[in-house]
Amino acid sequence: MTEVGEEPRADLKRRNNRAWWLVLPVVVSVAFTAVIPLMTVVNFSVQDVFTPSDRIFVGLEWFRSITRDPEVRSAFVRTLLFSAQVLLLEIPLGVALAVCMPRRGVWVSVALVLVALPLLIPWNVVGTIWQIFARGDIGLGGWAVNHVPGVDFNYTLDSTDAWITVLVMDVWHWTPLVALLAYAGLRSIPEPYFQAAQIDAASAWATFRHIQLPRLRGVLTIAILLRFMDSFMIYTEPFVVTGGGPGNATSFLSILLSKIAVGQFDLGPAGAFSLLYFLFVQILCYVFFTVLTRSGR
Amino acid sequence: MFEWMVWTVPTALVFAGLALLLVAMAVWARLSPPVARRGFLRIETDRGDRLYIGLISAAVVLAGWIAVTDLSMWLALGCALLVVVVIGIWG
Repeated sequence: MTEVGEEPRADLKRRNNRAWWLVLPVVVSVAFTAVIPLMTVVNFSVQDVFTPSDRIFVGLEWFRSITRDPEVRSAFVRTLLFSAQVLLLEIPLGVALAVCMPRRGVWVSVALVLVALPLLIPWNVVGTIWQIFARGDIGLGGWAVNHVPGVDFNYTLDSTDAWITVLVMDVWHWTPLVALLAYAGLRSIPEPYFQAAQIDAASAWATFRHIQLPRLRGVLTIAILLRFMDSFMIYTEPFVVTGGGPGNATSFLSILLSKIAVGQFDLGPAGAFSLLYFLFVQILCYVFFTVLTRSGR
Repeated sequence: MFEWMVWTVPTALVFAGLALLLVAMAVWARLSPPVARRGFLRIETDRGDRLYIGLISAAVVLAGWIAVTDLSMWLALGCALLVVVVIGIWG
């Protein structure tokens, strides 16, 4: 154990701390929108509730059944796999897109608007677009895949096709976010770095590898965090396109959870499921946050 | 008024305990301000950070326990508390 020295908060006592009262509105609103609902979820997760007055305490039984449910376990693995693929595709693609975007001139605005377009579309509309686009009979994309290379593509019947459709849809929808973040990061690199690289006759790859990529570290950490969390909690788009099917091929954690909670109205198991899901997301958030804020020290 | 929240005695006790813990930590910070240091977690933490990490780790221990074994949950609770203490002191 090593002492790192006096922290600024060590003189908390001597300061005027009345400004903390200004945080009160946030505390109240978070209490009503997050803490109280979360407490209710905890209460539901240890009971079998029929009505508020007619309920049975079951202890940790729902946690036991949810953590041992093969359907939940496979959905967990499936969601992790999906998030990993999303990151592997979107991060390099987004960076490549950002590097290719013009740095100055009239084309900057055009490129920015074109790239940002998918981000402006509501999620369920993205789902609807891709549901039609990927159809083999009337969808442009699905028809083209079926007729040009002659592959038999049908996302309503084949689980691999459904997976690919959802994955490509997510890449189409969210790569622009990574690209915009990376573009902002690239724009903040001072010009002299590039001039120095030019004097050294550095190749485009060397410039990218030793100047641009190291300087993108901060924004890429944020991009990875955002894309991981969002893809791990993906719900709307696959729900609209495949509804979790065919079979269980695209039923991610959130789709399974809403099926248990809203479809079957099993609020006890759904509460336990939510808390475990929340715990996992919470841990990942904390790890990413720690890496993000403490890596410089 | 709180009928819809379907409270039970055990969950109420858990939340009351957490609230008390937070108040106690605030009072402790007032009496002796926390100092950040590095322990076996290899990152700079003060005692509040270590409490948070400890509680989350305890939740992981409990969830993992219930997922894999039918042994008593009281034993799991003992392990979880041990984890909180170990991270709190040496983390």
